[in-house]
Amino acid sequence: MQDLSFKVQRYLPGKDKKPYIQEFTVPFRQGMTVLDGLIYIKENIDNTLSFRSSCRMGICGACGMLINNFPMLACHTPVEELETARVEVRSLPNFAIIRDLVASLDPLFEKHKSIKPYVISPDLKEAEEPIAEFLQSPDELESYVQFAYCVKCGLCMAACPTVATDALFLGPQPLGQAYRYCTDRRDTGAKERFREADSPHGVWLCHLAGACSEACPKGVDPALAIQLLKRAMVFDSLRLRKKRTPASVAQPPAESKPKIDVPEFTVK
Amino acid sequence: MKETQLKILQYISGIGLFFFVGAHLLVSHLSSGDPTTWESVLGRATSSGWLAFYIILSIFGIYHGLHGLRTIILEFSLPNPAVKVLDWSLLAVGLTVFGYALYIPINAFIVG
Repeated sequence: MQDLSFKVQRYLPGKDKKPYIQEFTVPFRQGMTVLDGLIYIKENIDNTLSFRSSCRMGICGACGMLINNFPMLACHTPVEELETARVEVRSLPNFAIIRDLVASLDPLFEKHKSIKPYVISPDLKEAEEPIAEFLQSPDELESYVQFAYCVKCGLCMAACPTVATDALFLGPQPLGQAYRYCTDRRDTGAKERFREADSPHGVWLCHLAGACSEACPKGVDPALAIQLLKRAMVFDSLRLRKKRTPASVAQPPAESKPKIDVPEFTVK
Repeated sequence: MKETQLKILQYISGIGLFFFVGAHLLVSHLSSGDPTTWESVLGRATSSGWLAFYIILSIFGIYHGLHGLRTIILEFSLPNPAVKVLDWSLLAVGLTVFGYALYIPINAFIVG
């Protein structure tokens, strides 16, 4: 590949009536990502270009964008993988634009907060002043661990066709996280989350398009989590949901001696 | 868990419709003989078994259809007060249609 054609969405609220596309030419470099291209534009061509990024290694989830019509992390997308020299970058759909490629993720975080994304412990004293770990079996960890990899990048929400039609729909990220915490044996807040997910714009509006799971850069399967949440809610509604005993607290470790005796200082 | 319960009823009515519409198709279109003759129609109209069949089919059909319609309308980002209006409106429509759906087979059963 020679030079790349970067078509980048520009939009400055208050100045521009609507978003428009500006084209930049970026020299190709082996192994470069879309984020590298955007950084090149900002450093060498137009320093007013706005986008969000942080870790540059697919961990923080800040650089979610619509790249060639598919929601992806810019830092996690090598240009070579796109198999074209034309790269079109827009801000994430289903979110308002703050400026250029920066989408406002406020609705995502508001919805995420509404499902109480934390372990609600039955033992308030232990939650406030923890003395030891909660005991969990490997199987119990396995039941939710893939959903715990969510980095809140918003790609699943941008890909979801139901979020596109119904802005009030909770969406794949919050619903997936609701399931993640409901299935955690340390947690006893399932009923509270079920109540939230049971709203008219809750879990039952998911049509299982599966776009969320396809878009997730961390391999989380929110579509599966939503189906499992639906099943848990049906069983709970029919009073068939198995009652689990909350995870118990491990015994505090007994005082132990160091395995190897620390040699005495030879120099005093 | 109102939405979940409504959805469970949607599943039950969907499964019910599969069997009841299947039976309807079997009798009306696939069975030997002509189901549209005066004798056949009158025979079904005066049968208490068929009366129950039509009433249950109406319940399943009306509920399944209106709940599906509700799901579609909900996607227009209706706020909660509007959802309540929608629910009561659909309930009124459902009861009216069900009343009419009851009247026809019961009237035929009594008159026939």
